[in-house]
Amino acid sequence: MLLAVAIAAGAWELYKALGPPDGGDVFGWRIIPKTNDRVMPHIWEMLAEFGDPEVRGRDTAVWEAMLGYSWYTLRMSLAGLLLGGALGIGLAVLMARFRVVERGLLPYVVLSQTIPLIALAPQVAALGGNWGLPKWTWAAALAAFLSFFPVTIATLRGLQSVPAASLELMDSFAASWWTTLRKLRFPAAVPFIVPGLKLAATASVIGVVVSEVSLGLRGVGFAALSYGQKTTSQPATVYTAVFAAALLGLIMFGLVSAAEAFVMRKRPTEINT
Amino acid sequence: MTDTAQPVHPSVDARGVAMSFNQGTAEQVDALVDVDLRIESGAFVSLIGPSGCGKSTLLRLIANLIEPTAGQVMVNGKDAAQARLDQDYGMAFQQSGLFDWRTVTKNIELPLELKGWGKAERSARAAEMLELVKLADRGNHMPWQLSGGQQQRIAIARALAAHPPLLLMDEPFGALDEMTREHMQSELLDICAAANTTVVFVTHSIPEAVYLSTQVVVMSAGPGRITDVIDVDLGRTRDEDTREDDGFYKKVTEVREALRGGDHERSTHRSEDR
Repeated sequence: MLLAVAIAAGAWELYKALGPPDGGDVFGWRIIPKTNDRVMPHIWEMLAEFGDPEVRGRDTAVWEAMLGYSWYTLRMSLAGLLLGGALGIGLAVLMARFRVVERGLLPYVVLSQTIPLIALAPQVAALGGNWGLPKWTWAAALAAFLSFFPVTIATLRGLQSVPAASLELMDSFAASWWTTLRKLRFPAAVPFIVPGLKLAATASVIGVVVSEVSLGLRGVGFAALSYGQKTTSQPATVYTAVFAAALLGLIMFGLVSAAEAFVMRKRPTEINT
Repeated sequence: MTDTAQPVHPSVDARGVAMSFNQGTAEQVDALVDVDLRIESGAFVSLIGPSGCGKSTLLRLIANLIEPTAGQVMVNGKDAAQARLDQDYGMAFQQSGLFDWRTVTKNIELPLELKGWGKAERSARAAEMLELVKLADRGNHMPWQLSGGQQQRIAIARALAAHPPLLLMDEPFGALDEMTREHMQSELLDICAAANTTVVFVTHSIPEAVYLSTQVVVMSAGPGRITDVIDVDLGRTRDEDTREDDGFYKKVTEVREALRGGDHERSTHRSEDR
């Protein structure tokens, strides 16, 4: 993990040292990135930005401000993950229970992921405003819209992965469908659900960050936008928000992994994701 | 054996049973035709035959996991569907089918849980069953920590936990090595004698069928049907010596010839088809 970070940082600095400062053309397209300090600041400059005051003349440092933004974003992401996870599992159970629902709903579930979040934000804002819900729930809802998808697909796959003999066994006990779900299908699906939740965890952060921009919530996404506007004077500042967002993604991922370690502690070790 | 507890009904009574899959379509498969089978309470009956003879299908019909397309299956004097609802039988498969996320004890308790037994009753019964299958010290293990033979014994314990009068087994030792297999066969006879259950046992091993059974039902394929029922009178107590007994060999030969007869019939059928 640390090694991966070091390699990424090394690659960045290496390209910065060797690449053309003004970029380059390939077949007339300007696609080779510029390496000047405005486009690719040194990594130490980005890190140094954390210590600078956020607004000139005030004593709140960027890191303090960023901590506040991150905490706000993290809470919304968590809410988004919980909401998305519940929605995802619920939908998958419905689809596993009723073939009709699976056939009718699955195309729409897939289609839903092609709608850009930004296009959806105003609708969610209007609805949330009508129902008098606090603004952070809007962002959580949008994050859930992004995060439920991998959970649905993974859970559905898991619920359908149960060996026929186990289902026959439950049948031989004259167990109802819901009992079979509770005692067999759901526990058997857990190793499938966990990777789905891991994808959902990072998707939820992305969802919140993007929603913040559309909804004007003061989290990491908002910080990225406002810092991005002062690229000319302080090009490295925007990267503090990038780092914060990346870190949030890792924290969310870590939370799911910790939950996994707990839930899976008694399972055979070869099921590892 | 306590004869007073024996029901007057036969354990299994199948009459004119037929089973076709994809009935009425071009892919119709006649898995079983015209099966009559009566299994008396206390018997150990093996169903043996080549692949496709419908032996597993017949077992699933008795278990009411599938419904016959014709005929009727009675279990303990009731309709098979009612017998399933009443949990009149326990079932064990080739794959032990133990749940990875439950301890051995919790696996045995599963059918009791579904029947709504109390916690204390459940764990007392599970301990009893563990004793019976000689794995008393493994209750807190997870299934994947046990060997294949041990897992299969737990599956049998689970099948018998709720005191079912009938045990249905679908090649339960099929995945075990020969040594473990013979050992498990002797164990199974002991367990069934202790639990006082009737057994219907699907296998494709002739010695296994002869060693275990009081009756061997020989089946043949294309379409699946019963071609012979052979009584095996080797006495109720059987041990390792039984396997080297002359009577044992004779029965093995008899079953083998009955199987070959069915096979022969099938090959002539096939040549007629062509």
